[in-house]
Amino acid sequence: MNETFTRAIRTEEIAPGGMKVVLASGRELVICHCDDGRFYAIARRCGHMNAPLEMGTLDGVILTCAMHCAQFDITTGEALSGSVPAYLGDETLPPRTAAYLTNVGMLMQPIHTESIATYPVKVESGWVLVAV
Amino acid sequence: MTVESRKQALRFFFGKVVEPLGFKFSPDEELVVFLLEQEVALEAKHGIPFCPCQPLRHDRVRDMHIVCPCIPFHRQHFDAMKRCWCGLYVHQDVTDPDSLPQLSKKEMGLE
Repeated sequence: MNETFTRAIRTEEIAPGGMKVVLASGRELVICHCDDGRFYAIARRCGHMNAPLEMGTLDGVILTCAMHCAQFDITTGEALSGSVPAYLGDETLPPRTAAYLTNVGMLMQPIHTESIATYPVKVESGWVLVAV
Repeated sequence: MTVESRKQALRFFFGKVVEPLGFKFSPDEELVVFLLEQEVALEAKHGIPFCPCQPLRHDRVRDMHIVCPCIPFHRQHFDAMKRCWCGLYVHQDVTDPDSLPQLSKKEMGLE
């Protein structure tokens, strides 16, 4: 396959262990800079509930979404876990809040965490190039 | 998401926690794979990778004390045994995990 790479971001703009969102060919991507110096490009939206993944944390090649803690392998895009159940404490919630949360919980129950798309990346002349 | 990829992820995260505590994964790789598999199943069921060798009491505070790696909550006991309760982790100097006995706190005179 003939891949066309376009400039996404300068390498020095992302510290090791960091992530930044870029727009490439009309798509929202997150460029990840691993601690070992490698760069990866993934789709911006979480495979669980579409949260912006650059707001999560990157640990090695595992990205944890900030919203419900779903995890992804940024080298393959594979979902490594679903969401983590929230703990709201032992105190009794006001009835309307409890009813709302019960409803949200019911709606979230059937949501599966899908893997996310990844894109080929290369580094040239201080730029991260991505093929979208 | 597969059991295998989740096991790799747990191994990665747990390794970062236990190494500074002076522990490592048991050299008994078969046991490690088996226990991690049980933890993946527990995580799928409860959302949390509880220790597969201790009972859930459905008491939040007590149950949080058996979230793997539970070493910080049982430090004195595990240091005395040179292993964690299920044997997933052993002290970094251990080469023969089979030689380490699994003894309760009571048997070790710790309670």
